[in-house]
Amino acid sequence: MKSHKLFTLLSALLFCALCFGQAKKPTLMVVPSDVWCNQNGYMLNFDNQGTVTRIPDYKRAFQENPEVLQVISQINGMMAERGFPLKNMESAIKTMESNAVEDGLRSSKDSGASVAESPIDAIKKAAKADIIIQLTWTVNTTGPKKSINFNLQGLDAYTDKQVATATGTGAPSFSAEIPVLLSEAVLAHMDNFTLSLQQHFDDMFENGREIIVRIQTWDDWDGDLNTEFGGEDELGYVIEDWLADNTVKGRFSTTDITESMALFEQVRIPLYNDKGRAIDARRFVRGLSKYLSDAPFNIQNKLVMKGLGRATIILGSK
Amino acid sequence: MKLKHVILSVLFIGFCTSVNAQWKKNKANEDTKIWRYDLECEGIAKKGSKLVKVWSYSKNPKHAISRGMKNAVHGIIFKGYAGGGQGCTPFQALVSDPSVEEKHKEFFDSFFADGGAYLRYVSSATDGSIAPGDRLKVSKREYKIGVIVNVQTDQLRKLLESKGIVKALNSGF
Repeated sequence: MKSHKLFTLLSALLFCALCFGQAKKPTLMVVPSDVWCNQNGYMLNFDNQGTVTRIPDYKRAFQENPEVLQVISQINGMMAERGFPLKNMESAIKTMESNAVEDGLRSSKDSGASVAESPIDAIKKAAKADIIIQLTWTVNTTGPKKSINFNLQGLDAYTDKQVATATGTGAPSFSAEIPVLLSEAVLAHMDNFTLSLQQHFDDMFENGREIIVRIQTWDDWDGDLNTEFGGEDELGYVIEDWLADNTVKGRFSTTDITESMALFEQVRIPLYNDKGRAIDARRFVRGLSKYLSDAPFNIQNKLVMKGLGRATIILGSK
Repeated sequence: MKLKHVILSVLFIGFCTSVNAQWKKNKANEDTKIWRYDLECEGIAKKGSKLVKVWSYSKNPKHAISRGMKNAVHGIIFKGYAGGGQGCTPFQALVSDPSVEEKHKEFFDSFFADGGAYLRYVSSATDGSIAPGDRLKVSKREYKIGVIVNVQTDQLRKLLESKGIVKALNSGF
Protein backbone atom coordinates (compact mmCIF):
# COMPACT_ATOMS: atom_id res chain seq x y z
CA MET A 1 0.00 0.00 0.00
CA LYS A 2 2.85 2.31 0.98
CA SER A 3 4.79 1.62 -2.20
CA HIS A 4 1.62 2.24 -4.24
CA LYS A 5 1.28 5.71 -2.67
CA LEU A 6 4.95 6.45 -3.30
CA PHE A 7 4.57 5.43 -6.95
CA THR A 8 1.52 7.71 -7.35
CA LEU A 9 3.41 10.60 -5.78
CA LEU A 10 6.43 10.09 -8.03
CA SER A 11 4.19 9.86 -11.10
CA ALA A 12 2.45 13.10 -10.14
CA LEU A 13 5.80 14.86 -9.65
CA LEU A 14 7.06 13.63 -13.02
CA PHE A 15 3.84 14.79 -14.67
CA CYS A 16 4.22 18.25 -13.11
CA ALA A 17 7.84 18.48 -14.21
CA LEU A 18 6.89 17.54 -17.77
CA CYS A 19 3.97 20.00 -17.84
CA PHE A 20 5.81 22.96 -16.44
CA GLY A 21 9.13 22.35 -18.14
CA GLN A 22 7.79 23.10 -21.60
CA ALA A 23 7.22 26.49 -23.18
CA LYS A 24 3.92 27.19 -24.92
CA LYS A 25 4.23 25.70 -28.37
CA PRO A 26 3.27 28.03 -31.18
CA THR A 27 0.85 26.75 -33.80
CA LEU A 28 1.86 26.95 -37.45
CA MET A 29 -0.30 26.91 -40.56
CA VAL A 30 0.50 27.10 -44.27
CA VAL A 31 -1.56 29.73 -46.07
CA PRO A 32 -1.42 30.53 -49.81
CA SER A 33 -0.29 34.14 -50.21
CA ASP A 34 -2.52 36.92 -51.56
CA VAL A 35 -0.23 37.15 -54.61
CA TRP A 36 -0.70 33.46 -55.42
CA CYS A 37 -4.48 33.67 -54.91
CA ASN A 38 -4.66 36.76 -57.12
CA GLN A 39 -2.50 35.27 -59.89
CA ASN A 40 -4.56 32.09 -59.92
CA GLY A 41 -7.95 33.80 -59.77
CA TYR A 42 -8.95 32.78 -56.24
CA MET A 43 -10.20 36.19 -55.09
CA LEU A 44 -13.51 37.48 -53.84
CA ASN A 45 -14.73 41.02 -54.56
CA PHE A 46 -17.02 42.78 -52.15
CA ASP A 47 -18.34 46.28 -51.89
CA ASN A 48 -17.03 47.86 -48.71
CA GLN A 49 -19.14 51.06 -48.44
CA GLY A 50 -18.49 52.02 -52.06
CA THR A 51 -14.92 50.74 -52.31
CA VAL A 52 -14.38 47.41 -54.05
CA THR A 53 -12.18 45.27 -51.84
CA ARG A 54 -10.52 42.04 -52.97
CA ILE A 55 -9.85 39.27 -50.47
CA PRO A 56 -8.42 35.75 -51.05
CA ASP A 57 -10.96 32.95 -51.48
CA TYR A 58 -9.08 30.18 -49.67
CA LYS A 59 -12.00 27.76 -49.66
CA ARG A 60 -12.26 27.76 -53.47
CA ALA A 61 -8.48 27.49 -53.80
CA PHE A 62 -8.48 24.31 -51.68
CA GLN A 63 -11.47 22.87 -53.52
CA GLU A 64 -10.23 23.56 -57.04
CA ASN A 65 -6.42 23.53 -57.05
CA PRO A 66 -4.72 20.14 -56.50
CA GLU A 67 -1.23 21.68 -56.66
CA VAL A 68 -1.78 23.78 -53.56
CA LEU A 69 -2.94 20.67 -51.70
CA GLN A 70 0.14 18.75 -52.85
CA VAL A 71 2.55 21.47 -51.69
CA ILE A 72 0.79 22.00 -48.34
CA SER A 73 0.59 18.26 -47.73
CA GLN A 74 4.31 17.86 -48.45
CA ILE A 75 5.25 20.78 -46.15
CA ASN A 76 2.93 19.45 -43.40
CA GLY A 77 4.53 16.01 -43.68
CA MET A 78 8.07 17.32 -43.46
CA MET A 79 7.26 19.56 -40.50
CA ALA A 80 5.51 16.69 -38.69
CA GLU A 81 8.68 14.62 -39.08
CA ARG A 82 10.55 17.41 -37.29
CA GLY A 83 8.09 17.19 -34.36
CA PHE A 84 6.09 20.22 -35.45
CA PRO A 85 2.78 19.09 -36.99
CA LEU A 86 1.06 22.03 -38.64
CA LYS A 87 -2.56 23.10 -38.53
CA ASN A 88 -4.22 22.26 -41.83
CA MET A 89 -5.99 25.35 -43.12
CA GLU A 90 -8.54 23.44 -45.19
CA SER A 91 -9.61 21.42 -42.15
CA ALA A 92 -9.63 24.55 -39.95
CA ILE A 93 -12.03 26.26 -42.38
CA LYS A 94 -14.31 23.19 -42.43
CA THR A 95 -14.31 22.92 -38.62
CA MET A 96 -15.14 26.60 -38.33
CA GLU A 97 -18.09 26.24 -40.68
CA SER A 98 -19.48 23.17 -38.94
CA ASN A 99 -19.07 24.85 -35.53
CA ALA A 100 -21.00 27.87 -36.81
CA VAL A 101 -23.85 25.62 -38.00
CA GLU A 102 -23.91 23.71 -34.70
CA ASP A 103 -23.85 26.93 -32.64
CA GLY A 104 -26.73 28.34 -34.70
CA LEU A 105 -28.89 25.29 -34.07
CA ARG A 106 -28.00 24.76 -30.40
CA SER A 107 -30.46 25.83 -27.71
CA SER A 108 -30.79 25.31 -23.99
CA LYS A 109 -33.01 22.38 -22.96
CA ASP A 110 -34.53 24.34 -20.05
CA SER A 111 -34.87 27.92 -21.28
CA GLY A 112 -34.46 27.59 -25.07
CA ALA A 113 -31.66 30.20 -24.96
CA SER A 114 -29.14 30.15 -27.79
CA VAL A 115 -25.32 30.26 -27.48
CA ALA A 116 -24.06 33.75 -26.55
CA GLU A 117 -21.87 35.43 -29.14
CA SER A 118 -20.72 39.03 -29.05
CA PRO A 119 -19.79 40.87 -32.27
CA ILE A 120 -16.13 40.51 -31.22
CA ASP A 121 -16.57 36.73 -30.83
CA ALA A 122 -17.95 36.63 -34.38
CA ILE A 123 -14.95 38.53 -35.79
CA LYS A 124 -12.51 36.30 -33.90
CA LYS A 125 -13.92 33.22 -35.64
CA ALA A 126 -11.19 32.76 -38.21
CA ALA A 127 -8.68 30.09 -39.11
CA LYS A 128 -5.63 31.28 -37.20
CA ALA A 129 -2.18 30.26 -36.04
CA ASP A 130 0.69 31.84 -34.13
CA ILE A 131 3.03 31.59 -37.08
CA ILE A 132 1.61 31.81 -40.59
CA ILE A 133 3.69 30.10 -43.28
CA GLN A 134 2.87 32.14 -46.35
CA LEU A 135 3.32 30.19 -49.55
CA THR A 136 3.90 31.62 -53.02
CA TRP A 137 5.12 30.03 -56.20
CA THR A 138 5.18 31.13 -59.79
CA VAL A 139 5.92 29.10 -62.89
CA ASN A 140 8.55 30.70 -65.14
CA THR A 141 8.35 29.70 -68.80
CA THR A 142 11.10 30.37 -71.32
CA GLY A 143 10.23 28.64 -74.58
CA PRO A 144 9.77 24.97 -73.72
CA LYS A 145 11.69 25.35 -70.44
CA LYS A 146 9.85 25.63 -67.16
CA SER A 147 11.10 26.47 -63.69
CA ILE A 148 9.51 27.22 -60.36
CA ASN A 149 10.09 30.33 -58.28
CA PHE A 150 9.31 29.28 -54.72
CA ASN A 151 8.87 31.45 -51.64
CA LEU A 152 8.04 30.40 -48.08
CA GLN A 153 7.71 33.09 -45.41
CA GLY A 154 7.15 32.37 -41.73
CA LEU A 155 5.26 35.36 -40.31
CA ASP A 156 4.60 35.96 -36.63
CA ALA A 157 0.86 36.63 -36.46
CA TYR A 158 1.23 39.13 -33.60
CA THR A 159 4.39 41.09 -34.22
CA ASP A 160 4.02 40.89 -38.04
CA LYS A 161 7.72 40.06 -38.22
CA GLN A 162 9.12 37.55 -40.69
CA VAL A 163 10.68 34.92 -38.48
CA ALA A 164 11.67 32.32 -41.09
CA THR A 165 12.20 32.24 -44.81
CA ALA A 166 13.28 30.11 -47.76
CA THR A 167 13.17 31.33 -51.31
CA GLY A 168 14.75 30.55 -54.66
CA THR A 169 14.30 29.38 -58.23
CA GLY A 170 14.56 25.73 -59.16
CA ALA A 171 16.48 24.23 -62.08
CA PRO A 172 14.76 24.76 -65.45
CA SER A 173 13.41 21.61 -67.07
CA PHE A 174 12.19 20.75 -70.56
CA SER A 175 10.23 17.68 -69.61
CA ALA A 176 9.30 17.69 -65.90
CA GLU A 177 5.69 18.48 -65.05
CA ILE A 178 4.69 21.24 -62.64
CA PRO A 179 3.84 18.91 -59.69
CA VAL A 180 7.29 17.30 -60.00
CA LEU A 181 9.00 20.70 -60.06
CA LEU A 182 6.92 21.79 -57.06
CA SER A 183 7.86 18.67 -55.14
CA GLU A 184 11.55 19.34 -55.87
CA ALA A 185 11.14 22.96 -54.75
CA VAL A 186 9.69 21.89 -51.40
CA LEU A 187 12.49 19.34 -50.88
CA ALA A 188 15.11 21.94 -51.79
CA HIS A 189 13.80 24.66 -49.50
CA MET A 190 12.41 23.01 -46.38
CA ASP A 191 15.79 22.50 -44.70
CA ASN A 192 16.58 26.19 -44.98
CA PHE A 193 13.12 27.11 -43.77
CA THR A 194 13.29 24.90 -40.69
CA LEU A 195 16.80 26.15 -39.99
CA SER A 196 15.67 29.79 -39.92
CA LEU A 197 12.68 28.76 -37.78
CA GLN A 198 15.09 27.01 -35.40
CA GLN A 199 17.13 30.22 -35.15
CA HIS A 200 13.94 32.11 -34.26
CA PHE A 201 13.12 29.58 -31.51
CA ASP A 202 16.70 29.71 -30.21
CA ASP A 203 16.42 33.49 -29.97
CA MET A 204 13.07 33.11 -28.20
CA PHE A 205 14.52 30.73 -25.60
CA GLU A 206 17.47 33.06 -25.01
CA ASN A 207 15.79 36.46 -25.07
CA GLY A 208 12.15 35.65 -24.32
CA ARG A 209 9.01 35.58 -26.42
CA GLU A 210 8.34 38.78 -28.35
CA ILE A 211 4.85 40.17 -27.85
CA ILE A 212 2.80 43.34 -28.37
CA VAL A 213 1.12 45.13 -25.47
CA ARG A 214 -1.55 47.74 -26.05
CA ILE A 215 -3.08 50.05 -23.47
CA GLN A 216 -6.42 51.66 -24.26
CA THR A 217 -9.01 53.56 -22.24
CA TRP A 218 -12.81 53.38 -22.14
CA ASP A 219 -14.26 56.71 -23.28
CA ASP A 220 -16.29 57.08 -20.05
CA TRP A 221 -13.18 56.83 -17.84
CA ASP A 222 -12.29 60.05 -16.04
CA GLY A 223 -8.52 59.39 -16.01
CA ASP A 224 -5.88 59.17 -18.72
CA LEU A 225 -2.27 58.09 -19.17
CA ASN A 226 -1.00 61.54 -18.16
CA THR A 227 -2.80 61.41 -14.81
CA GLU A 228 -0.81 60.87 -11.60
CA PHE A 229 -2.45 58.22 -9.42
CA GLY A 230 -1.83 57.84 -5.70
CA GLY A 231 1.03 60.35 -5.64
CA GLU A 232 3.03 58.28 -8.14
CA ASP A 233 4.42 59.32 -11.52
CA GLU A 234 2.20 59.79 -14.60
CA LEU A 235 0.43 56.55 -15.46
CA GLY A 236 2.26 56.17 -18.79
CA TYR A 237 5.64 56.20 -17.00
CA VAL A 238 4.33 53.84 -14.30
CA ILE A 239 3.41 51.30 -17.00
CA GLU A 240 6.79 51.70 -18.70
CA ASP A 241 8.57 51.14 -15.37
CA TRP A 242 6.55 47.95 -14.77
CA LEU A 243 7.48 46.66 -18.21
CA ALA A 244 11.16 47.50 -17.65
CA ASP A 245 11.09 45.57 -14.36
CA ASN A 246 9.29 42.52 -15.70
CA THR A 247 10.53 41.98 -19.25
CA VAL A 248 13.60 39.87 -20.10
CA LYS A 249 16.64 42.17 -19.77
CA GLY A 250 14.19 45.11 -19.61
CA ARG A 251 13.56 44.90 -23.34
CA PHE A 252 10.60 46.69 -24.89
CA SER A 253 9.97 49.65 -27.18
CA THR A 254 7.38 52.34 -26.63
CA THR A 255 6.11 52.72 -30.17
CA ASP A 256 3.34 55.18 -29.48
CA ILE A 257 1.85 56.84 -26.42
CA THR A 258 -0.88 59.45 -26.07
CA GLU A 259 -3.15 60.33 -23.19
CA SER A 260 -5.68 57.69 -24.24
CA MET A 261 -3.52 54.88 -25.68
CA ALA A 262 -0.09 53.32 -25.62
CA LEU A 263 1.52 50.74 -27.87
CA PHE A 264 4.52 48.72 -26.72
CA GLU A 265 6.29 46.55 -29.29
CA GLN A 266 9.22 44.14 -29.09
CA VAL A 267 8.23 43.35 -25.52
CA ARG A 268 10.34 40.33 -24.55
CA ILE A 269 8.53 38.26 -21.96
CA PRO A 270 9.96 35.28 -20.06
CA LEU A 271 8.73 31.87 -21.21
CA TYR A 272 8.01 30.73 -17.64
CA ASN A 273 6.70 32.50 -14.55
CA ASP A 274 8.28 32.25 -11.10
CA LYS A 275 6.35 29.01 -10.47
CA GLY A 276 7.95 27.49 -13.55
CA ARG A 277 4.73 27.50 -15.54
CA ALA A 278 4.76 28.38 -19.21
CA ILE A 279 3.25 31.79 -19.87
CA ASP A 280 1.99 33.72 -22.87
CA ALA A 281 1.11 37.37 -23.48
CA ARG A 282 -2.17 37.12 -21.55
CA ARG A 283 -0.55 35.61 -18.45
CA PHE A 284 2.26 38.16 -18.56
CA VAL A 285 0.01 41.22 -18.99
CA ARG A 286 -2.28 39.85 -16.25
CA GLY A 287 0.51 40.94 -13.87
CA LEU A 288 0.31 44.53 -15.13
CA SER A 289 -3.48 44.41 -14.97
CA LYS A 290 -3.38 43.35 -11.30
CA TYR A 291 -0.67 45.92 -10.51
CA LEU A 292 -2.87 48.73 -11.87
CA SER A 293 -6.04 47.49 -10.17
CA ASP A 294 -4.30 47.32 -6.76
CA ALA A 295 -3.47 50.26 -4.45
CA PRO A 296 -2.27 52.96 -4.88
CA PHE A 297 -3.65 53.12 -8.46
CA ASN A 298 -6.98 51.30 -8.00
CA ILE A 299 -7.72 51.45 -11.74
CA GLN A 300 -10.29 48.90 -12.85
CA ASN A 301 -9.36 47.41 -16.19
CA LYS A 302 -10.21 44.76 -18.74
CA LEU A 303 -7.64 42.37 -20.19
CA VAL A 304 -8.14 41.20 -23.77
CA MET A 305 -5.90 38.66 -25.50
CA LYS A 306 -5.12 37.57 -29.03
CA GLY A 307 -3.23 34.30 -29.28
CA LEU A 308 0.14 33.78 -27.62
CA GLY A 309 1.60 37.12 -28.55
CA ARG A 310 -0.76 40.05 -28.17
CA ALA A 311 -2.64 41.43 -25.15
CA THR A 312 -4.55 44.66 -24.56
CA ILE A 313 -5.53 46.34 -21.30
CA ILE A 314 -8.50 48.70 -21.46
CA LEU A 315 -8.46 51.07 -18.50
CA GLY A 316 -11.55 52.41 -16.72
CA SER A 317 -13.77 49.39 -16.11
CA LYS A 318 -14.15 45.66 -16.75
CA MET B 1 64.99 -28.54 -42.49
CA LYS B 2 63.46 -27.60 -45.84
CA LEU B 3 59.96 -27.59 -44.38
CA LYS B 4 61.08 -25.26 -41.63
CA HIS B 5 62.32 -22.77 -44.22
CA VAL B 6 59.05 -22.89 -46.14
CA ILE B 7 57.01 -22.26 -42.98
CA LEU B 8 59.23 -19.38 -41.97
CA SER B 9 58.96 -17.83 -45.46
CA VAL B 10 55.14 -18.12 -45.46
CA LEU B 11 54.94 -16.53 -42.01
CA PHE B 12 57.29 -13.73 -43.09
CA ILE B 13 55.26 -12.98 -46.25
CA GLY B 14 52.02 -12.99 -44.22
CA PHE B 15 53.51 -10.58 -41.70
CA CYS B 16 54.73 -8.24 -44.45
CA THR B 17 51.30 -8.21 -46.15
CA SER B 18 49.57 -7.39 -42.88
CA VAL B 19 52.04 -4.61 -42.10
CA ASN B 20 51.67 -3.22 -45.62
CA ALA B 21 47.83 -3.23 -45.35
CA GLN B 22 47.97 -1.49 -41.98
CA TRP B 23 50.45 1.06 -43.36
CA LYS B 24 48.15 1.77 -46.32
CA LYS B 25 45.17 2.22 -43.98
CA ASN B 26 47.15 4.57 -41.77
CA LYS B 27 48.28 6.49 -44.84
CA ALA B 28 44.69 6.88 -45.99
CA ASN B 29 43.66 8.02 -42.53
CA GLU B 30 46.54 10.48 -42.49
CA ASP B 31 45.47 11.90 -45.83
CA THR B 32 41.95 12.54 -44.58
CA LYS B 33 42.79 13.29 -40.95
CA ILE B 34 42.71 17.02 -41.51
CA TRP B 35 39.36 16.73 -43.28
CA ARG B 36 40.66 18.30 -46.44
CA TYR B 37 37.85 17.98 -48.96
CA ASP B 38 35.33 20.04 -50.93
CA LEU B 39 31.63 19.40 -50.96
CA GLU B 40 29.20 20.41 -53.67
CA CYS B 41 25.56 19.75 -54.35
CA GLU B 42 24.83 17.37 -57.20
CA GLY B 43 21.07 17.86 -57.48
CA ILE B 44 17.85 17.40 -55.53
CA ALA B 45 17.87 13.99 -53.86
CA LYS B 46 14.93 12.02 -52.53
CA LYS B 47 13.21 13.14 -49.34
CA GLY B 48 15.47 13.19 -46.29
CA SER B 49 18.77 12.95 -48.14
CA LYS B 50 21.30 15.05 -50.02
CA LEU B 51 23.05 14.11 -53.23
CA VAL B 52 26.56 15.52 -53.05
CA LYS B 53 29.85 15.28 -54.86
CA VAL B 54 32.76 15.17 -52.46
CA TRP B 55 36.22 16.03 -53.75
CA SER B 56 38.91 14.32 -51.67
CA TYR B 57 42.64 14.94 -51.95
CA SER B 58 45.26 12.24 -51.67
CA LYS B 59 48.60 11.11 -53.04
CA ASN B 60 46.96 7.82 -53.90
CA PRO B 61 43.70 8.03 -55.90
CA LYS B 62 42.44 4.83 -54.24
CA HIS B 63 42.60 6.45 -50.82
CA ALA B 64 40.68 9.45 -52.04
CA ILE B 65 37.89 7.21 -53.32
CA SER B 66 37.70 5.14 -50.16
CA ARG B 67 37.60 8.25 -47.96
CA GLY B 68 34.93 10.00 -50.05
CA MET B 69 32.03 8.63 -48.05
CA LYS B 70 33.58 9.56 -44.72
CA ASN B 71 34.33 13.06 -45.97
CA ALA B 72 30.78 13.48 -47.31
CA VAL B 73 29.20 12.61 -43.94
CA HIS B 74 31.68 14.88 -42.17
CA GLY B 75 30.85 17.68 -44.61
CA ILE B 76 27.11 17.38 -44.05
CA ILE B 77 27.63 17.51 -40.27
CA PHE B 78 30.27 20.23 -40.07
CA LYS B 79 30.66 22.15 -43.32
CA GLY B 80 27.50 22.31 -45.43
CA TYR B 81 27.72 23.60 -48.97
CA ALA B 82 26.80 26.56 -51.11
CA GLY B 83 23.98 26.20 -53.60
CA GLY B 84 24.65 25.75 -57.25
CA GLY B 85 23.10 24.49 -60.45
CA GLN B 86 20.42 21.83 -60.82
CA GLY B 87 18.06 23.57 -58.41
CA CYS B 88 20.44 23.24 -55.46
CA THR B 89 19.92 25.56 -52.54
CA PRO B 90 22.61 26.33 -49.93
CA PHE B 91 22.77 23.79 -47.11
CA GLN B 92 23.95 24.82 -43.70
CA ALA B 93 25.83 22.20 -41.71
CA LEU B 94 23.82 20.20 -39.17
CA VAL B 95 26.18 21.46 -36.45
CA SER B 96 26.49 25.23 -36.45
CA ASP B 97 29.16 25.45 -33.74
CA PRO B 98 32.56 24.07 -34.88
CA SER B 99 33.68 23.52 -31.29
CA VAL B 100 31.08 20.75 -30.98
CA GLU B 101 33.46 18.33 -32.73
CA GLU B 102 36.00 18.79 -29.95
CA LYS B 103 33.34 18.71 -27.22
CA HIS B 104 32.00 15.35 -28.39
CA LYS B 105 35.36 14.00 -29.51
CA GLU B 106 34.75 10.52 -28.15
CA PHE B 107 31.50 10.12 -30.08
CA PHE B 108 32.89 11.47 -33.35
CA ASP B 109 36.11 9.43 -33.08
CA SER B 110 34.14 6.21 -32.87
CA PHE B 111 31.54 7.42 -35.41
CA PHE B 112 34.19 8.18 -38.03
CA ALA B 113 36.40 5.18 -37.25
CA ASP B 114 37.11 2.78 -40.12
CA GLY B 115 33.92 0.79 -40.59
CA GLY B 116 32.22 3.12 -38.10
CA ALA B 117 28.56 4.07 -37.82
CA TYR B 118 28.92 6.80 -40.44
CA LEU B 119 28.59 4.10 -43.13
CA ARG B 120 24.91 3.66 -42.21
CA TYR B 121 24.16 7.19 -43.37
CA VAL B 122 25.86 7.27 -46.75
CA SER B 123 25.64 5.30 -49.96
CA SER B 124 27.35 5.54 -53.29
CA ALA B 125 25.21 7.08 -56.01
CA THR B 126 27.25 5.81 -58.97
CA ASP B 127 28.18 2.24 -57.99
CA GLY B 128 31.62 3.52 -57.09
CA SER B 129 32.56 4.50 -60.65
CA ILE B 130 34.33 7.82 -61.10
CA ALA B 131 33.67 10.00 -64.13
CA PRO B 132 36.85 10.78 -66.13
CA GLY B 133 36.48 14.47 -65.35
CA ASP B 134 36.31 13.73 -61.62
CA ARG B 135 39.82 12.24 -61.44
CA LEU B 136 42.20 15.18 -61.45
CA LYS B 137 45.93 15.31 -60.87
CA VAL B 138 46.37 18.62 -59.08
CA SER B 139 50.13 18.42 -58.55
CA LYS B 140 53.02 16.06 -59.20
CA ARG B 141 52.15 13.87 -56.27
CA GLU B 142 48.53 14.64 -55.49
CA TYR B 143 45.14 13.65 -56.86
CA LYS B 144 41.73 15.23 -56.41
CA ILE B 145 38.94 12.71 -56.82
CA GLY B 146 35.23 13.52 -57.00
CA VAL B 147 32.79 10.88 -55.72
CA ILE B 148 29.01 11.27 -55.88
CA VAL B 149 27.27 9.96 -52.78
CA ASN B 150 23.87 10.11 -51.16
CA VAL B 151 23.86 11.19 -47.49
CA GLN B 152 20.78 10.50 -45.38
CA THR B 153 20.65 13.87 -43.69
CA ASP B 154 17.34 13.40 -41.84
CA GLN B 155 18.53 10.18 -40.21
CA LEU B 156 21.87 11.76 -39.42
CA ARG B 157 20.19 14.77 -37.82
CA LYS B 158 17.96 12.49 -35.74
CA LEU B 159 21.04 10.62 -34.50
CA LEU B 160 22.73 13.88 -33.49
CA GLU B 161 19.52 15.05 -31.81
CA SER B 162 19.25 11.81 -29.84
CA LYS B 163 22.87 12.21 -28.68
CA GLY B 164 22.16 15.80 -27.59
CA ILE B 165 24.68 17.22 -30.07
CA VAL B 166 22.14 19.33 -31.96
CA LYS B 167 18.80 20.68 -30.80
CA ALA B 168 15.58 19.38 -32.30
CA LEU B 169 13.14 21.90 -33.77
CA ASN B 170 10.58 21.05 -31.10
CA SER B 171 12.97 20.93 -28.15
CA GLY B 172 11.84 23.11 -25.27
CA PHE B 173 8.16 22.97 -26.29
